[in-house]
Formats: sequence, structure tokens, C-alpha cells
Amino acid sequence: MDDDVLTTLKILIIGESGVGKSSLLLRFTDDTFDPELAATIGVDFKVKTVAVDGNRAKLAIWDTAGQERFRTLTPSYYRGAQGVILVYDVTKRDSFTKLGNWLNELETYCTRNDLVKMLVGNKIDKDNREVDRNEGLKFARKHSMLFIEASAKTRDGVQCAFEELVEKILQTPGLWESSTQSCGVQLSDDPQQQGHGACGGYCSLL
Amino acid sequence: MSGPGAPIRFCVCAGVVTVIYLCGKLCVNRFISRVEEVLNDWKLIGSNFGKPPEKGEYTSRTWDEKSRDINFADFRFSITHHYLKQECVESEGREDVEEDAFPLAMQDLLCMNNDFPPRAHCLVRWYGVREFVVISPGANCEAIISESKCNLLLSSVSIALANTGCQVPVFVQIQQKWRKMYSGECQGPGVRTNFEMVHLRKVPSQYNHLSGLLDVFKGKIGCPLSPLPPINIAIRFTYILQDWQQYTWPQQPPDFDGLLAGEVGGVEFGKLPFGPCEDPISELHLATTWPHLTEGIVVDNDVYSDLDPLQAPHWSVRVRKADNPQCLLGDFLMEFFKLCSQKESTEEILGRNSVEEEGKENSDITQALSKLTEPAAVPIPKLSVSNMVHSARKRIRRHRRLDQSPLSNDMLNSILLYLFPDAAVDRPDLTDAKSPQSSSGGKSERDTESDDYNLFNLLKSAPSHSLTFRLALCMCLVNFYHGGVRAVAHLWQEFVLEMRYRWENNCLVYGLAAGPPDLRCCLLHQKLQMLNCCIEHKRARDSGSGRDRKEAASENGILSPTSTGAGPTLSETPLGKPWDSWSDSEDEFFECLSDTEEIKDVPADRAKGGAKEVGRAKPEGRLQPHGKLTLLNTDEPLYVPVTQEPAPMTEDVLEEQSEVLAKLGTSAEGAHLRARMQSACLLSDMESFKAANPGCSLEDFVRWYSPRDYVEEEVTDDTGQTVVLSDLSARMKIPGNMWVEAWETAKATPARRQKRLFDDTKEAERVLHYLAVQKPADLVRHLLPCVLHAAMLKVKEEEASEDIHSVRKALQQVISQASKLLRHPSPDCRKLEDIINQIMALEAIVARARSLKAKFGVVKGDKGEDSEDLEKFVSSLLEEPEVAVTGAGRGPAGTIIHKLFGSAQRAALLAPLEEEAGRAGGPENRKPMGGGGVPDFPPPAGREILLRTCVPRPAPYSRALPQRLYCVLMREDFRLAGAFSSDTSFF
Repeated sequence: MDDDVLTTLKILIIGESGVGKSSLLLRFTDDTFDPELAATIGVDFKVKTVAVDGNRAKLAIWDTAGQERFRTLTPSYYRGAQGVILVYDVTKRDSFTKLGNWLNELETYCTRNDLVKMLVGNKIDKDNREVDRNEGLKFARKHSMLFIEASAKTRDGVQCAFEELVEKILQTPGLWESSTQSCGVQLSDDPQQQGHGACGGYCSLL
Repeated sequence: MSGPGAPIRFCVCAGVVTVIYLCGKLCVNRFISRVEEVLNDWKLIGSNFGKPPEKGEYTSRTWDEKSRDINFADFRFSITHHYLKQECVESEGREDVEEDAFPLAMQDLLCMNNDFPPRAHCLVRWYGVREFVVISPGANCEAIISESKCNLLLSSVSIALANTGCQVPVFVQIQQKWRKMYSGECQGPGVRTNFEMVHLRKVPSQYNHLSGLLDVFKGKIGCPLSPLPPINIAIRFTYILQDWQQYTWPQQPPDFDGLLAGEVGGVEFGKLPFGPCEDPISELHLATTWPHLTEGIVVDNDVYSDLDPLQAPHWSVRVRKADNPQCLLGDFLMEFFKLCSQKESTEEILGRNSVEEEGKENSDITQALSKLTEPAAVPIPKLSVSNMVHSARKRIRRHRRLDQSPLSNDMLNSILLYLFPDAAVDRPDLTDAKSPQSSSGGKSERDTESDDYNLFNLLKSAPSHSLTFRLALCMCLVNFYHGGVRAVAHLWQEFVLEMRYRWENNCLVYGLAAGPPDLRCCLLHQKLQMLNCCIEHKRARDSGSGRDRKEAASENGILSPTSTGAGPTLSETPLGKPWDSWSDSEDEFFECLSDTEEIKDVPADRAKGGAKEVGRAKPEGRLQPHGKLTLLNTDEPLYVPVTQEPAPMTEDVLEEQSEVLAKLGTSAEGAHLRARMQSACLLSDMESFKAANPGCSLEDFVRWYSPRDYVEEEVTDDTGQTVVLSDLSARMKIPGNMWVEAWETAKATPARRQKRLFDDTKEAERVLHYLAVQKPADLVRHLLPCVLHAAMLKVKEEEASEDIHSVRKALQQVISQASKLLRHPSPDCRKLEDIINQIMALEAIVARARSLKAKFGVVKGDKGEDSEDLEKFVSSLLEEPEVAVTGAGRGPAGTIIHKLFGSAQRAALLAPLEEEAGRAGGPENRKPMGGGGVPDFPPPAGREILLRTCVPRPAPYSRALPQRLYCVLMREDFRLAGAFSSDTSFF
């Protein structure tokens, strides 16, 4: 099954505790919703293969615990991630106001600075919204992130969130080429090197 | 006129048609139609128009080419279209051009704007054309040498041109490739130009001057008119300077002696060498040009010449750079890189004896030290670290046989002192390894040198000045100067020994940022940081128990709750202060079971507590109150406990762990198992919490640990009153969920008495083993990022003093390439080598700049008008293929060039003392080709003479058409390239 997979991407899901990170992931991978999903301990892991623009990419998705105390443990798993989904709860303003901390966390622990970030406002099925869509959009723009509002419960926007993230990663070649590099397939080398071996008739008099 | 619409086929083989010739004819026809097809495809058919090229346009604009393969029988040719790229589309307004204008190529023959281009295809140089097609034998095909073949080919081309109406000249390459012999044709309406060539090894004496060549030209034109229309002449002589005399490049040879003497200050070790070992500028080519002469203005014949280079109206200069000049930094990097392919282990390289001895020494020392570190025997804090390090080293020295060591003791000593300045006996300011500043180099750098911070992050190396970085430089150094791979192996062995020594003696490794391994750095750096984490941990344990003992001794009578007997409220207010101050210290005591106070303390307390509150333990391991929260059941303040920090990890261990976690799969069981595996930390926190908060519940724990899982809701109850209902979140109440499960298992145990989450002993041994088994090749791979990092800093620093824009730009590119490469877990060796080659190229550019500046006497800070011009001149020499000399032989640069040639000439031809007298005569009395005295210039290495005119041909009543002859005369090369046009309608 892995034969036709273009690349394997490492995706992270982070955000405050209880914003629905694991639920989003469960909706994406198993298309189910479990209102009684236990709080994640440390990190959890799921795999899904997606097709984006005709390319199949295998996603290794690391779901993290949002509790403060786990933050000494979980960032070590940030290493090598190519994409991150940063989740907040639209019905909990403090989960939104703490997004800045998470961005700092990313900056500190991510080993690559070009990873693609997607901001997801979760739980839009609920009535008691505290964070307006435009606020989320503004924040995402300010920090050059992709943005979508979603509901793991009603499946709104979930698929889209992951797919757009993957699409963006695949559009950033430097980001994922290295995962196939080990296979030894290197199609294009420096184009400038071509045709410079012989003088090709161009030369100076002496 | 034949256009593409009316194809007329000519037959070439008009001779006897035998079966064999028939085949040949077919082939020829097929070849012709292929050529036509290609010309059609490239849209080269029909007339082409254009303005005459601007001055210098052939150099300033870019040339492009496209190629196809075509066959002639079983012979493969490649047909290539070369053309000057159009900058913008100028297709409009072309209708009004006269119909019978000459083809562009013919007009170009006479244009003088691009004579002698500094860099161009030879056909452009010879014929001045801006667009042409070349048919040459394919890569593996033999040259077309026989005359009949040449003719066949040429006539085929001629037919193709006529059939298509293509006005672009088409050339056929004949003879051996290296001879660059071309023959070609250009056709226009009623006109044709033939391109012909003569190529000889020797210049025939009758053609060795302008007048002889004019005769050739006139003869070839065969113009019947009299007097002949004027012939336009352009001449360029090129002189080569190879002997720079006293103007050698300024590089000081590196002071090897200083390094070898062993009397080196620590600073020298941190420096990379830079600069060339030979002059990176090998030749200067001076081209003196007379761009516009007419016959009769100058005399140049076999006995006399007017062509004095000093009088030439136009001078231009190019420099020939030494190919891959040997440069120190590049060599340094390459030699180090080459160790990558070494297969031997450290032991194999150093030889068996040394291993055994090493082993013995090692155990010797460890035994000796273990005696020292026996808990109660020696008060460790009183022992000076430097003394211990020093004595340990002496011990090693004694055991090592001198002749077996690649590195001398003195050398090793100074390297180790450079690496571990805290071990220096006479530097008391550094000996206190306890001071945290000494070990946090990385942190402070982050603020002061953000550039560098960025670079180590990009290259995944280590902060400059960190131990790893310095180690990398030392390894490079010993490899280059002090014995190659053996020295590297030797130094590594010593380094590993030192690491073990530091671990066993609780002595922090100097020069590493404190804290867990920095995953942005290279693995080796992380390993060393890990070792420091272990040492710190162990020290905390050791000093923790020591401190407790001390406290027990000194404070027992005053502060200890047990002795003051403050009564039943002990665990509350009066205790707050001492507990707080106790927990303020950074020390955390895990597994301190030997702690006598502890053992004594607990039962005593329990006895007291037991009297008053049965089942209520004494709180232990409190860090601080958690805001104003109180426990739900007892109203006591909720305390944040002292906790164990999770084990730090290096990236390889982390990788393993993620793999293990990922391998558990995505099933529910897998997820459960994964959570369980990671719950050690949670459980430990719960136990600490329970110990710090006797009588607490899971709700209390959740309020601290995961506050969002404790839901408070305002509800109106039956009586109409609003009450705040609070409860655990739904997910925390799921029966059997791991949080509940863990809570039930957790015993009230303070962090210091829990099982260690981080086993420093095991981890340290793991690191030390890892270090010990690294082969020199592994080591090189570990350290290469640091070495490249240092090299880039060096190039940057050197560039800054010369201010070379191109180097700055290229360096950025190299950095980003290296960044991509080095982030890969096992970078491609070939690509790494390429990075090193690029750094070498940058070094060479800087070296060339210096060499040129020295030669032209450009001094920094000299603010004369001339010097500014000179500086500009020198920097364009580096970046442009050819640079015009302002003021020719009389300008400031020209004067210097004149002097350079003059002194080289005198050195070659005269005894040095006579030179001044000889020079006084000045340039007036010299003749370029020999003559009395010493000429200031050598004979020109190359002479180019360009003759042009426009005359009717072949008949006097034909149209006047462009004629051109380009001649180049060199020592062993004589070439005449003529383009002769004739009227095909009126002859």
C-alpha cells in the first residue's frame, strides 16, 4: 500500500487541554466522534494516507496532551514535524488568548523554521461562542498560518483542515523532499551545472 | 526567389548514377530536408530585420542556443542555433523595411560596435554575427576531413538555405574539433556571403604584419575598382604579464613553528587558517586596441611598426585566475572531510599496545578516583576541581609512552587547556565549575550574536565557543598539522577519558549550555549536554544528602519541627517558612534513602501526628501554594508539589522512543498501551501531589494539573438560588480511565523518595559508551557541521574586510544549501564535498581580491581620487571578464600596469642594477618588435587585425557588399577568417 505514497509527513496537533485535539484527529482518521474521549497522556499517534492533487501522502499525526505539566515532555516530539495544527476552542476565550504561547513553544522546539501551520477553531457546533471567526482569521494572518473553523462533532471543516495543510506542505518542496532523499532518487541536480563542462565554443581569445 | 512555399530541389550528385550513388543521393536529399525542417521549426526562414547592435551589446546581453541531432546516412550531426537573446519583443513596425535589404548577418559584418568581445563564441568574434547556425559532427563521430565530404556538406547547406529562404548564416564545422575550423554561407535576396577560413600552425613571414594582411584581403576581394574604397582597420594586441616581481600577493605563510612549539595561547586553537598558498592571480592580459584606423594612417610592416601599445587609444585588462589555487582553509576542510572514509576504529589506528595501556590507566584512575568519591571519605566541595583534573592528567602522562603518541605531551596539554580552560591551575576565575555562568555559554550568545545563533541553528552545529565547536576546530587542527588521523584518534581518546573523569568526579563539563540537550544542535553536542545533565543530577543528589546532613547538624536545635516541638499545628503555619525556603533551592533529592534525617524524621513525625490526627500524614515535598486554592475536603491550602522532571533526551534516543510509541499502532489497545507507557510522569506527579497535600482528592489534583477538566457551573437550584456546581469534566469521570486508574495506584510519596524517572548513572554510561565507540570517521561526520559553521564565519569575516558583494551573496547560498543538507540525518557525502568546494571557491575569490589589491597598490583608507578609481577598477577585474582602463596607458591604472610590465621585462632581460638607467629613456625610443634597449612590453602574445570594406563583387557593376577579414596571429596559431559577399544577380 505504501508503494505509491509520495512521501510521509509528520504532523503535530497542539493546543490547550480540552479544545478537542484528539476529537479532531479521531474524526479525521476514523470519521467518528466520541464525546467521552479520555484526556490524552503524553502523546498519541495515528496514521492516515491522504490523496491531495493526485499525490498520496502518508500522514503520521502526533496528538499531544495540552496540560501545562506535559509541556516539558511533549515538545521533544515536535522534532522534524513538517506541519502543525494549532487548535483552540471557539467557546473558550482563554484557549484562544494562549495561542501566542503555543507559537513560542513551536519556535523554540521545532527543528525547522519553515513548517506549515494551520490554525483551527474547533467546536463551532456549540452556541456559546466566545471567539469570533474574524478574530481567528486575523490572528492566523498575522502569524502567517492557514485558518479554518471546524467541528469534530459535526465533521465541519475537519477533512479540509488536514487536506489544506498537506497541500501547502507539498507545495513547499524543501520541506518534504528530504523524506524521499534516502531512496536515492534525485531527479534534478543544479541546472547551472549543465553545459558547462566543455567550453561549447565560448571562450576568450587566449 | 525561392521561398518556403515553392520548394525547388537541386540535385548535388550530377555524376554517374550507380546504385551506390543513388543511395548517397537519397541520403543527401534526406539530410537537406532534415536541415530545412529544423530551420523551419526554429522559424529561421525568411528575412530578418534589426537595428545594428549597440556598443558592447554582445557582452552585456546573454546568448542562448538550442540544439537538435540530425543524421547524414549513418553519420550523426548536431545542429545548433546560437543567438543573442532579445530583451523585449520588437515585432511591430517592421513592414516598411526595404524588401531587398541585406541579411542581418551581412550588416553585422561591418558593424564596429562589438569588435573583440571579451567573451563570445569564436564565430561571433570572427564574423561579428548576432545569430548563426552551426552543424558539427556528433559527440562520438569522427571529424569531416576529406574535401569531398566538406563540399558535399556545404552544398547541401547551400541548397537548404536556398529552399527555405533562411537568411541566418549556417556554418559547418570541418577538420578536427580543436582546430575550430568552420566553413559557411549566408544567403539573401540576390546576395551571398561565403565564410572561409585558413588555419596554420606558424605565421607565414609575409603575413606577419598589417601590410601583408591587407594584401591578402585585397587579393581575395579582387576588386576591379580603382582607387579601391577605403579599408577600415581595427587592431588589438594582447600582452601577457606572468612575472609579478615584487608585487607578490600579501599572504603571510602560517606560523607553523609557533603552533609546533607548544607555546600557544588558547586563542590560536580557535582560529581557522585562511588564504592561498600560491598567488591566485596567475596572469594579467593587457589588450591594447586601435579601434578605428584606415589604411595609410599607420605603418606596420616587416621592418617598422607604429603600433606602440602605450599609444593605443584603448586599453582593457583581464586577469587569469589560477585554477583551484591551493588555499589553506579549503585544504583544512578537505583534509578533515577525507577522514570520513577512514574505516578503522580509534583502537586500530592507535595500535593495540596503546589500548591495553589505555585500559589499564583508565581502570587505574577510576579506582583511584572511586576511592576519592567514596561518600563520607573526602569532603568533595573542598577538593579543587582543577587540582584533581591536573593530577589525573599527570597520571595519564606518566603511563603513556612518549614515542607512541601522535601528539606530544606539550601539544596535548595546550589543546586540552584550550578545550577545558576550567582545568587550568593558574586561572582561578574559571576553576569554579559550580558557577552556572561557566556552563551556559550558549544562552548568552543567543542574545549577543544573533547571527551566529541563527547559523548554528541552520547548520545544526553548535554555538561557537561551545566545547563541541572548539573540539571540532582542534580536531581539524591536529589532523592538518599534527599527524592526521592518528592525532585525531589520540585527541579523541583523551577527550573521552576526560569526559569519564568529569562524570566520575562530579565535575561539570565546561562550555555547554545548561539544560536538556538542545535538539537544534548536532548529536555530539547533545550527547555532551546529556552528560552534563547526568553530572548535574548526580551532584544534586550528592550535595543534597550532604546538605541535609549539614542542616541536620546545624539546624536541628533551632528550626527543625521535631526538636522545637511546636505542637500539633506543625504542618501548618509555622512550617510554611522553612519549607518554602527549603524548596526554593534548586536541589531535588531523589532516592535519598540513605538520608538519615529522613529516616529519623518520618517516624517521629508520624508518632506526633498519630497522636492528634490518625491517618493524616505529614505533608512532604511542597513547592508552593497554588494560588489561593484550598483542598476540597479539608480547607487546607492546595500545594504545588516538588516534582521530578521528565528525563532529558538526545535526538537519537528520542527517535527510538517515538518509534517504539509509533509501533504500538493506532488501535485502541495500542493507544492505551502508549498512554500507559507515558504515564510514569503523571503517576510520579500524582504521588508528589498526594504527599504534599494529605487528604486530597483527584478533583484537587485535576484543579492543579488540568484545570479545564474541573468544570464550575452556575446553576439555579430548586429553591431558586444560584449555586456554583463544580465537578470533574465528563472525560475525567469515564470509569476506568487512566487518570482515575493512576490516581488510585498513586501512593503519597514525595519526589525525592520516588523511583527516579531519570537514571543519571545509566544515562551517563550510555553517553560515555557512545563516545568511546565513535571511530574517527564518525567523529568527523559529527563535527563537520561545526567545522563548516566555523569556515563560513571565517569566510564572512574575511569578506567583511574586503567587502566583496558577490562573495556575500554566494555565501548566503552556500549556507542555505548546507542548511538543507545538514538537517538530513545522514547527509550525502558527495554533496558535503560540494559544499566544501564552494567554500573553497569563495576563499579563492577573497584571495584574488587581496592579491589584486596588493598588486595595484590599493590601500585601505587611502582616500585619494585615484585610489578610489583604482579600487573600483580592481573590484571590476574580479567580477567582469574584461575591464576597460580609463585613460589607457596614461591613467592611474595604466601607469601601474605599464610599470608592472616594465619591471617584469627588465627582470627577464637585464641585470637588476641597470634597470633605472634603461627606463629613463622612456617609451618614445622603443619599438614594439625588438630594437635597442629593453622594451617595456614583451612581444604581444596575440595580435588581432580586423579588415572591413564594402565593395562591389564580383563585377564592377555588382552591388557594393560587405567584405570582412579577421586575422589572428599568435605564437603557434595563425588564422584568417574571411567573409566575402558577392552579388548573385549581377555578375
